[in-house]
Amino acid sequence: MRFEKEIEIVNSKENVWRFLWDVDRFIACVPGCKEASTVEPGKQYAATMVEKVGPFRVSFPLRIDVVESRDLAYIKAVAAGSDNAVGSRMKVELEVGLKGDGDRTVLSIAASVDVLGKLATLGHSIIKRKADQVMEEFAQTLKHKLEGAA
Amino acid sequence: MLRRFRLEEPDTIQAASDLLVRFGDAARLYAGGTELLLVMKEGLVRYERLINIKQIPNLNQVKLDNGAISIGALATHRELTVSPVLRESLPALVQMENNVANIRVREVGTIGGNLCFAEPHADPGTLLLVLGAKLIAAKKTGQREIAVENFFRDAYETSLESDELLTEIRIPRPSAAGGLAYLKFGYLERPSVGVAVRVEFNGGEKKWIAEARIAVGCAGPAPRRVEEAEAPLKGKSIQEATHLIDEAGGIAGRASQAISDLHGSQEYKEHIVQVLVKRAFQQAVQKS
Amino acid sequence: MATASSKAAERQTIALSFTVNGRAYDLDVEPHELLLDVIRDRLALTGAKRSCDVQVCGACTLLLDGRPVSACTLPAFEARGKKILTIEGLAENGTLHPLQQAFIEHGGFQCGFCTPGMILTAKLLLDENPDPTEKELKHFMHGNICRCTGYKKIVESILAAAKKMRSGARSGKN
Repeated sequence: MRFEKEIEIVNSKENVWRFLWDVDRFIACVPGCKEASTVEPGKQYAATMVEKVGPFRVSFPLRIDVVESRDLAYIKAVAAGSDNAVGSRMKVELEVGLKGDGDRTVLSIAASVDVLGKLATLGHSIIKRKADQVMEEFAQTLKHKLEGAA
Repeated sequence: MLRRFRLEEPDTIQAASDLLVRFGDAARLYAGGTELLLVMKEGLVRYERLINIKQIPNLNQVKLDNGAISIGALATHRELTVSPVLRESLPALVQMENNVANIRVREVGTIGGNLCFAEPHADPGTLLLVLGAKLIAAKKTGQREIAVENFFRDAYETSLESDELLTEIRIPRPSAAGGLAYLKFGYLERPSVGVAVRVEFNGGEKKWIAEARIAVGCAGPAPRRVEEAEAPLKGKSIQEATHLIDEAGGIAGRASQAISDLHGSQEYKEHIVQVLVKRAFQQAVQKS
Repeated sequence: MATASSKAAERQTIALSFTVNGRAYDLDVEPHELLLDVIRDRLALTGAKRSCDVQVCGACTLLLDGRPVSACTLPAFEARGKKILTIEGLAENGTLHPLQQAFIEHGGFQCGFCTPGMILTAKLLLDENPDPTEKELKHFMHGNICRCTGYKKIVESILAAAKKMRSGARSGKN
């Protein structure tokens, strides 16, 4: 599944860049994502992705690796994890691009989400809908947080 | 294989409701189990307790009650197909029920369980929407009526509260000057698209459409009535409506919240909705 | 009907008294035990098969008080006080039921995996509707899947058995 979104943030590129690397604040923007921690600054992080659809709950402990980054311009990270209780794996490839001048930054987000295993077979459309919601909410929360605080 | 659980077997609605309050998320109501046990087997949900409500008497009857058709939530799909009351007053419902899943699921699965599990790829909800059904939810302190339009919130989510049981489905008797049809399409085990159409004509002369109801299910996360598609048909003659039905079907398709998945692409599902709306309309008119 | 009783502090067991192919059994089962496993593993009646395990294929079909159920998705306690018929109980004193005979004569099975479920379901069909049209037969049998035969021979077998049964051959145990 592929998701792409572009949002305009009323804040400087520097502030946005700083925010993206503030793991706790960044992860707080992703609905369902919690327990963020830094394993190796700039390189590896950890978080848990918890989602609920009706009576179904999944909990993916995620290992997040920063694959590529260009100062004030681009980050590519890969997050992966398994929920053994439901026999499923999740992998997200996230690319974030920054563009802008002065106090206007354009953030472009592209996510490639793969869910494998039972969940994918049984709940493909549910996952897609949920991922859409998560993406949308993430973008809005990010914008809100970056425009609310300096 | 199923994980170990404890079985509770209350014999009153109050006792069942009490158990729901007492155990919360760790317990789930269990009737036919034809949906629930599947997801439990897959390990997608876990319950410490199942509350078997089949010991509660009088929840599976089908009868006429003050001009309304009353269907007990614990009536199995099969019981609905052989009910003389339903065969006489709601043959379209009987036909729909007769094509739910397969003969074994129909034998064991209950209509209440089907509605409460709210699996998107299901049949009954879509038809109940055009019938204006009312669902009765009961708990220890009493009961309330939920209009079917307000029952389905999202995939696997209804507006039942955590301590409520669905006990009854009440359907106003459809008028004689009307027709009703439910059609579905699918090539996987569960239906991919379901459409229900109901038309009511003025008096018995069949001159013009007093009311049209269109509902779409299976394509989106929950079944829904599509008022936007109904509006163009109201007040029209059969001939006029027949010319407009493709457009109405197109509106219904786009409103169905279809997404591309293993059941088909979004465009394909929307197209199938349109086709089924047209055919269901034609059938409803013929049957009136 | 027996109510749930506790043995050890943790394990709940339910007394299951039922008959299978005319023979009475008294077992203790845990709530989560599935009927298919009790029939196959505890009663050694392995005609019913675990195939899809999601109640769509019909290979696990049993008749419970004459009604068809997916034993793979039915807890064993649901059989309390009931009469079960498995494929092993269909033949009478070594004489095959007309359906069994017809499946042999008309090539209604190849690997045989779906066959017990097919025959039990077909038995019920013919009990209810001794002269079914092909359309009625296919609707009734819709939930019994076969990977081998392409269904044509199954339909022929059932219709042949129906014809034989209508002309007065033994109609089989209830």
